[in-house]
Amino acid sequence: MMLEVKALSKRLPDGRPLLKGISFDVREGELVGIIGLSGVGKTVLLRCINRLTEPDGGEICLRCDGEEYRITGINGHKLRDIRRKFAMVYQDFNLVGRLTVLDNVLIGRLGRISTLKSMIKRFSLADKEEALEWLSRLGIENLAPRRAETLSGGEMQRVALARAMMQGCQVLLADEPVANLDPKTAEEVMGQLVEITEKNNLRTLAVMHQPELVRRYCHRVIAIKEGIVAYDGKADIDEQVLAHVYDKASGASKVA
Amino acid sequence: MNRSSLTSTTRLPALPKWLRFRYFAWALGIGAFVGAAAYLEFSPQALAEGAPRMINFVRQLFPPDIKVLPSLIAPALKTVLMAAVATVMAALMSLPLAVMAAGNTEMPKALRGISRLLIEVARVIPDVVFALIFITAVGLGPFPGTLAMAVHSVGMLGKLYREAMEEIDPGPPEAVKAVGATRLQVVRYAVIPAALPAMVSDTLYRFDINVRNSIIIGFVGAGGIGYRLIVAMRLFKYQELLMILLLILGIIWVTEKLSDRLRAAIFGQPLLR
Ligand SMILES: Nc1ncnc2c1ncn2[C@@H]1O[C@H](COP(=O)(O)OP(=O)(O)OP(=O)(O)O)[C@@H](O)[C@H]1O
Ligand SMILES: [Mg+2]
Repeated sequence: MMLEVKALSKRLPDGRPLLKGISFDVREGELVGIIGLSGVGKTVLLRCINRLTEPDGGEICLRCDGEEYRITGINGHKLRDIRRKFAMVYQDFNLVGRLTVLDNVLIGRLGRISTLKSMIKRFSLADKEEALEWLSRLGIENLAPRRAETLSGGEMQRVALARAMMQGCQVLLADEPVANLDPKTAEEVMGQLVEITEKNNLRTLAVMHQPELVRRYCHRVIAIKEGIVAYDGKADIDEQVLAHVYDKASGASKVA
Repeated sequence: MNRSSLTSTTRLPALPKWLRFRYFAWALGIGAFVGAAAYLEFSPQALAEGAPRMINFVRQLFPPDIKVLPSLIAPALKTVLMAAVATVMAALMSLPLAVMAAGNTEMPKALRGISRLLIEVARVIPDVVFALIFITAVGLGPFPGTLAMAVHSVGMLGKLYREAMEEIDPGPPEAVKAVGATRLQVVRYAVIPAALPAMVSDTLYRFDINVRNSIIIGFVGAGGIGYRLIVAMRLFKYQELLMILLLILGIIWVTEKLSDRLRAAIFGQPLLR
């Protein structure tokens, strides 16, 4: 019952390898932190997993409900169907600025209602109630009628999380989910992320830049360095490993 | 400081060769302009000799004939309505065409090509030609004129809508796509909301243009204030002609103000940023 990433590779447009065979898996109810230097390819890795970016090689496989879904090598409506199971919270949120917060959250449901109904914004009452429910769980239900473009960064982040949750996803890909939050709100959101992951049996990947938060909230951590997995293990990562992960001078990346 | 290195780095690059002949180029340009004007039978002498006649004509325009004003209201209204209906029709036709034509809506290539071609054709053919085509179908009157303006407007609105859609931030549409949404849902929930301000602005701009055009379309039999203008000219009713021109000026001024107001009302909410 897990998400498997096998030998994922991706080259930059100029041909230099960015990811050179990344393999790991994420179990149900597990929150895995991803760390690594800026520019190492963490965002690209997440985008490859739901195929917003096309990987050059490797396989991504989701086992849930006794079935095996392969997201690599499919297209069209099959890809669309599987994408519903993958939710993403973007580094820059990607909300639709001119729509209300509530509409932005409801967008998470688009994969499940008919195109025709959605053209005239025909969401069911239950959908609307659930959207409001997620907003209130994240402490921002009072923002529901506001236009998304008028929110602060931290508010946008939580709306993006609510949208992801409306998807009823199996996999949650969160790119720096707490980067724009003050320390206290960051702790709150991380706490909610763990809770949501455990309660809904999600497989969650969260790109993180704060080792303390990783230690406190993640179940496991994966470090990426020079295109490969440099560390995969307990979240209580020790300083030595951390120093290695964030050490720019070592290895070939500097030469390349 | 090292003087020699300074001079060597600050030396200006040499002028391109053709620029060294710039006096020659200027002479050539001026010569071409004078030649073109002569070909178009420009004659300052004729203009000077005709000046008294021109002044006489302008004098005959005054004073404007205010008595005819009541009889001009209905034709003026007709002209404005033709422009309004044509603009709405054009917007309705342009929206789906632009969605299909835009490069970031992931529509099938064939549809994209066809819609781009249709928009281009509508733009290249002048509205007067469309008017003549529709007149052969339905006869004279405001109907063919309005249709003609609508179809021709698609050429501009379709292109502007398409550009408005292509200029939006690609992030939100991608996020909606990643949810598992269909292409139409992406258009409805991410592309159109982001492009809407520009599209409304484009539409109001086109309405301004169509008010002017519907006057001209009136010359060729669509009626309205343009028809009254041509009749007054033919019958040498110059004072009535001036009244009509003043009214047209008023209409254009009012529509411009109105669309500015509308634009401000829709997009003028200041953000607290
Ligand atoms: N479309 C692209 N064209 C060229 N280079 C790209 C493209 N997308 C990403 N890159 C490059 O790939 C590298 C990895 O980018 P990525 O966004 O994954 O980094 P990251 O690990 O998420 O960094 P950060 O922590 O700063 O978010 C960067 O050097 C980036 O410049
Ligand atoms: Mg990133």
